[in-house]
Amino acid sequence: MTGSLRLAALREAGVEFVAGVPCSYLKAFFAGCEKLPASAFLPAVREDHAVAACVGAWLGGRRAAAAMQNSGLGYCLEVLTSLHLLYRIPLPLLVSDRGAPADFEEHRILGQRTRGLLDLFGIPWREAKPGKHVAEARWLVETSDAAGSPAVLLVGKGADV
Amino acid sequence: MTRAEAVALALSLLADEDIVVAADGAISREAYRAADRARTFYMLGSMGQVASIALGLAMTRLERVVALDGDGNLLMGFGGLALVGGVKPANLYHLVLDNGCYATTGGQPAVSRKVDLAAAAVGAGYAWGRRSFSDDHARSALGSWLAAPGPAFLDLVVSAEDPDPAPRIPMTPEEIAARVRGAVARW
Repeated sequence: MTGSLRLAALREAGVEFVAGVPCSYLKAFFAGCEKLPASAFLPAVREDHAVAACVGAWLGGRRAAAAMQNSGLGYCLEVLTSLHLLYRIPLPLLVSDRGAPADFEEHRILGQRTRGLLDLFGIPWREAKPGKHVAEARWLVETSDAAGSPAVLLVGKGADV
Repeated sequence: MTRAEAVALALSLLADEDIVVAADGAISREAYRAADRARTFYMLGSMGQVASIALGLAMTRLERVVALDGDGNLLMGFGGLALVGGVKPANLYHLVLDNGCYATTGGQPAVSRKVDLAAAAVGAGYAWGRRSFSDDHARSALGSWLAAPGPAFLDLVVSAEDPDPAPRIPMTPEEIAARVRGAVARW
């Protein structure tokens, strides 16, 4: 219905609200989000506002997820640490995995440190694999629920989106 | 009028079902001391995100959502103003307790003394925005704001004095979040 395998899988896993800032790797995901009802998708101006809005939606009783480029994780750290991790609020997070050797150089520095950054804050993560969108969406929802924290799926170039 | 008096006055004008998002720092502590309510979310950090949290609530709930913000707080996450203005949730009411400075950290001046926050809100797309300077008119300004079409924005100028600082909130963050979510779900 949405044209995005990962969005369909997240919806199937119970996600009712999505906020985020686009990345070209996640183009199909965001195209799918635009077909959702207006109250179910917030295209945000920056990633920290997206994840903060997810806190509001979660307080409102909805299961909320966010999507962004890994460069946006830096903007999010204050919110993820002083809202999600502090108040123990779950958040499935779809993050594009920029910074591979063939990627543009502006993605290199944060890209090489994305996994280390998540490990530093104790945020569970895994890498998206082709054909695994249903199991991975379920992993995101169940892991973030159980941990009361964000959980991250890193989506590389060319992965099913 | 002190900020604490303005917070108490605003809370006294709300309906029981209204959901409140109170800014981190003094505003949350003052809201707790004036009128603790299960439907108030007390922020402890994440300065700059009051409007964005309120927006997530307003998009998912039918009740009125009231953001109790500070001027420095709003300025830190100024993009949140554009986000609310763009989405235009009719049930979002945004109040800025504007003391023109960073009171918690020693009263350093904020650019809110030179920036018209209400004009910015209207420019961003809020349906209503005003600035109120006078203590004498605070109650009527708050009444007009709550009666206005949403999203509505009131920049309420308050004193920078803080004669009676409110103590910290004796709840864990987890208790605060679970209580709001539970109270909202039961409505």
